[in-house]
Amino acid sequence: MKKNWTPLGYKNLYRELFKKHLDRQNELLKNSRPVGWFFSFHPSELTYIFDVVPAFPEQYSAYCAARGSSVDLIDTSISSGYGHFLCDYFKTTIGMIETPEKATPPLMPKPDFIVSSRALCVAHHEMAEVFARYHRIPKYTVNYPYWTTDSLKNPDELTKEAEWADELYVEYTVESLKGLVDFLSGIAGEADEEKFKEVFRKSEKTSELLIKILNLMMSKPTPGSQREISDLVFIAFFVLGSDYALEFCENAYEIIKERVKKREGVSEEKHRLLTFGIVPWHSLQIYQYCESMGANFPVNLYVNASVHKADSSDPYLSMVRRSMHFTNSSYEMLDGVIKTAKKADINGALLLENTGCRITSMIIRPLAERLGEDLGVQSLILEAPQCDPRVMPMERAKTQIDAFLESIS
Amino acid sequence: MREPFKIFYSIFQERSKLKEYRNEGKKIFGTMCNNVPEEIIHAFDAIPIRMFGNYGNTNLANSKIPSWTCNYARNVMEGGLRGDFSFVDGVVSATTDDTKIHLFSAYRFYMKPEFSYLVQFPYVRDEVSERFFAKELERFTKHLSSFLSAEFDEERLSTSIDTYNRYRDLCHEFERLRAHEKPKIRADEFIALMLASLSMLKEDFISMAEKLPEMLKEHDGFSDYKIRVHLSGTDFYNLTLLRLIEESGMVVVSDDLCTSAGYFTGNVRGKGFNALAQRYSGCTACVMTSGNTELSVEERLEFIRKKMKENRAEAIVLLKDRGCEVCGHQCPWIVREMDVPVLVLDLDFPLSIEQYRTRIEAFVEAHGGG
Repeated sequence: MKKNWTPLGYKNLYRELFKKHLDRQNELLKNSRPVGWFFSFHPSELTYIFDVVPAFPEQYSAYCAARGSSVDLIDTSISSGYGHFLCDYFKTTIGMIETPEKATPPLMPKPDFIVSSRALCVAHHEMAEVFARYHRIPKYTVNYPYWTTDSLKNPDELTKEAEWADELYVEYTVESLKGLVDFLSGIAGEADEEKFKEVFRKSEKTSELLIKILNLMMSKPTPGSQREISDLVFIAFFVLGSDYALEFCENAYEIIKERVKKREGVSEEKHRLLTFGIVPWHSLQIYQYCESMGANFPVNLYVNASVHKADSSDPYLSMVRRSMHFTNSSYEMLDGVIKTAKKADINGALLLENTGCRITSMIIRPLAERLGEDLGVQSLILEAPQCDPRVMPMERAKTQIDAFLESIS
Repeated sequence: MREPFKIFYSIFQERSKLKEYRNEGKKIFGTMCNNVPEEIIHAFDAIPIRMFGNYGNTNLANSKIPSWTCNYARNVMEGGLRGDFSFVDGVVSATTDDTKIHLFSAYRFYMKPEFSYLVQFPYVRDEVSERFFAKELERFTKHLSSFLSAEFDEERLSTSIDTYNRYRDLCHEFERLRAHEKPKIRADEFIALMLASLSMLKEDFISMAEKLPEMLKEHDGFSDYKIRVHLSGTDFYNLTLLRLIEESGMVVVSDDLCTSAGYFTGNVRGKGFNALAQRYSGCTACVMTSGNTELSVEERLEFIRKKMKENRAEAIVLLKDRGCEVCGHQCPWIVREMDVPVLVLDLDFPLSIEQYRTRIEAFVEAHGGG
């Protein structure tokens, strides 16, 4: 299998990044800095400005899924009475809280506060409430709108820069974010003005590099593997604004640029597939399996949704922009996605329906229909919860993929 | 079900009132959440009604949205795809939960209604959010005004608010009939009334139903029960299960359902958008809104406690739709923190009635005191 599969080699870079991230966490914990739990699409820059210890239920659950402990944790949550059809990240985290002995170490540190938002889903808000209640800690909620055609015009699929956004919504979200800054000041002490600017400058540079990397992924042949590219969400969601995120992206960009210059692909390319859905962290080999058969993924819409163009000259607008992704927009706004798919010249799509995630799962069929109608591209929809491998046995998935690739050949 | 309630239930089932309104040339707006501020639609002389589907299976919907989403969402999609909502001129939903948001998007994508609007709910109850929410309601009004080519009139909004408050008062009168030692109204009758009220103009409902509480007070009431229960859940409207619950020795005396007390509890105090914003962001039964230092689940628990105390409920039957995210997150807290027996019924549709019968009967045997 490996003969026809040459990844970019980001693994070592990731290892270094995680090490630096954990070192920073430990250092802050040693200094008794407050611990906050955050969710994807939160303004990660603030955790660096306020020097709080960030922990991420989604990232921790993905880690448990990759290490094989998530199934037991999900079962704990269901036996405690939580619904089966809820987000896997929620169920895994509940499992960690209730049965820490079953969870993969290092566990998330206990939070002193929690920040919820709806830049992606109400579920973040719902789960934040539950976690806040378990730990009896304060919670702050950032309100983001769900964008519709009458409130947002032509957002770019990657940068999230839009032609127009309704001022009422932008201003309210900015107010809400300013409230978050006040909330964090109350918990972690006042922010340093210079540091604020500095962190956002780093965030801007990092975000530009992330966008460049994802643009380069659309080159022919596809230069990288989704096994590596899907990990970029960790940077875009959780550590944007850090030194180590910037350092990672500088190196990663050079690597992919070189690869593209040499016209080297991850494998001998026969198909160019678009993919979408939260990554099934327990079965990342699904990407490698496809790629080793020549079915590469120049576009991963889930990764694309995670990035945005940060703007240090207007940090608050920049934080609002994070929410202007197609998964937080009404379905007529799939135009940007179609444009990206066209640009990447795809000939098929692998769409992952994440059981329990209403956001990714409910948009899947409209997405498949638009790809079919606008580009004549067929999609394979696989039911693939992000932390529960029982619903997507690899052997079954492989058979479905084989049949699909044969049908589009 | 007694005769007058059958008439109300047929209004819901046959949509007979809606046909009348259509014939009068009125515009009909379907809502997908009990937290859509209907008074605004009503103020334009249009008809706000709650969209419901009641299909045995939802094959068409399952091909467009995941089959594990809640029964309510699948049934609305099914209705839309079957063309059964052709009488609706526009749809309005709210960002109250993920399903409601994405049901709105999917419905809009597939059915392409002439008008659609998603009311952006704040999840926080503070000054900034309430100010925003009032402006958001104003924004909704502008969109509606433009679609209907009709001027907005503040006086008419006040009249609509009054009408809705009178409706809510009437619903509370019905609710009080449940408080008697011998409750005067059956659960299926109560929900039949509620469903009718969601399928017609409130003033028409009031004129049809306002004499009923007086009439029902004369009734002896029902004493054929062993335990008084509170029904907890969301968008529930299955009368078969309600009948089964009461046939098995329970009597339903209160609820927090989105189709019942969660909908009618709480009057609008004052005039204009600010008053509406306060009322709708303060609906504590199911809205995920709370103060930044509070949690909405605590408010829900408080709501349930209050209703149970008022009508002397002794136990809770929790109707947990397997696809409902609100139930999914909040259910364990209701079970853990309410100091009464709780029967959790995991709902999947079509209902396997016999399985529920066994569970309900066992619960009554264990907690029914006899």
